[in-house]
Amino acid sequence: MGEVEKVFISGLREKLIEDKVITEQDLVPEFASEIIRYGGKDVMTCLQCGNCTGVCPISLKIEYKTRTTIKYCQFGMKSHTLSTRWVCATCYRCYEHCPADLNPAELMIALRHIAVREGIVPPFVKTAASNLLRYGLTVKPDEAMLKEREQLGLPQAAITKPGWERVKKDINTIIETTKYDRLLGITNKEEGE
Amino acid sequence: MSYAYFFGCVIPSRYPGIEYAVRWVMGPEGLKLDVSDIEEFSCCPVPGIFYSTDRDTWLALAARNLCLAQKNKSEIVTVCNGCFSSLLKATEYLSEPKVMGQTNKVLSKIGMKYTGIPERVEGSNRRVFRPVSVRHFVGIVHTDETMKALSESIKRPLKNIKVAVHYGCHYLRPTENTAIDDPNDPIKVDDIVKILGAESIEYDDKLACCGAGGGVRSHIVELANALTEDKFKNISNENADVIVTPCPFCLLQFDTAQKSFTKRGIPVVHVAQLMAIAMGADLSKLGLELHNVSCNPLLAKIGVTEVSR
Repeated sequence: MGEVEKVFISGLREKLIEDKVITEQDLVPEFASEIIRYGGKDVMTCLQCGNCTGVCPISLKIEYKTRTTIKYCQFGMKSHTLSTRWVCATCYRCYEHCPADLNPAELMIALRHIAVREGIVPPFVKTAASNLLRYGLTVKPDEAMLKEREQLGLPQAAITKPGWERVKKDINTIIETTKYDRLLGITNKEEGE
Repeated sequence: MSYAYFFGCVIPSRYPGIEYAVRWVMGPEGLKLDVSDIEEFSCCPVPGIFYSTDRDTWLALAARNLCLAQKNKSEIVTVCNGCFSSLLKATEYLSEPKVMGQTNKVLSKIGMKYTGIPERVEGSNRRVFRPVSVRHFVGIVHTDETMKALSESIKRPLKNIKVAVHYGCHYLRPTENTAIDDPNDPIKVDDIVKILGAESIEYDDKLACCGAGGGVRSHIVELANALTEDKFKNISNENADVIVTPCPFCLLQFDTAQKSFTKRGIPVVHVAQLMAIAMGADLSKLGLELHNVSCNPLLAKIGVTEVSR
């Protein structure tokens, strides 16, 4: 567990210890409304009972606490909360157990939306999204797996058929229309092309 | 109503044996259901990546898949909890007329339009639009009729096999979307396991997360593995012979994480693979030798010869 803790503490706890005093300049008053815009509509109605932290599998393991993160969002501590965004497993236990029927998991997803728009994009998101642009699937079957499929007597993978070009084109059109490629900074060109 | 297979990304490119098992179980040699392929189906898309970063893109990509099923007038059969929750959530979002309008604006660029499947109201000229129905493999198998057919088609009863069932989060939650099983006391996979002749064991924290979802596995694999280890300890305390899950992503996590914390692994199979074993499918076609943790001890205990190629 040591390593995991290190990864995380460098994100949130250390920062809090470093700047023990949070001054008004660090707070972003419109942070909550930004979260609401991206789907975390329950941010201001949280009563801070802590049920969400109690049932969260991740909160048991590392220095991330669901309730605390929501409190930070209410305060407007934007730079502190954006480091917590990719540890939520979206298991929705918090939502199932919230006595006020709020949805903390959607709030974490809203934080991811904001982080991506601030230019903080984890590499695996870029990889998966560009795979979809290039191949039409987020996980592309490799040659060995295609051979394996043949041995099992499965139908030929759709990705290897000529009809797949149309699928790829449609997916590219959708992503260009919603400007998702520009948001993440990805292209459908293979590296080095 | 006919069904359309939706295998997603993990199954065809990591565990093709699951695809074979599902086709075999639902097909003419198994439960004889009317299922076809829609080859243009693409990624659901992955909720941990697309739903997390841009809802509009996620919804348009999911709606593209729904449009294909709408054109074919079929129900979608998902075999993965991720695909299930992503597509089902999309139909929920699209039930809002405003959201449907915005999404259709994007879809118009590729000549598609999501409306739902039109249905004539009996005794009038009115038509209603029914949302495309997204089903989970387990939900389809777990009906009185198919369960009866299943119990009659067992060729290799799984006697004395202790099965630890792992449901996976997105099979159960959020309940307002899924609601195919009791979120606090799910029974469907346990029922299937029992019909196959095996024993479904109880263990601590049965409904806990495998740790992989929501991008955690891709982001901090040690954290995902730590959660899997907790769950694995509870399972091995009860001396389970096999872990059975209805989700290939949970399967991938259990199958790959085990080597980081134990030497004595417990084999992990998809519920469709377990069904295919019991129903007498050709074992060499189930892709069991592609799993990281060897399934041979399980097969030996069932009393069939080990798979080798």
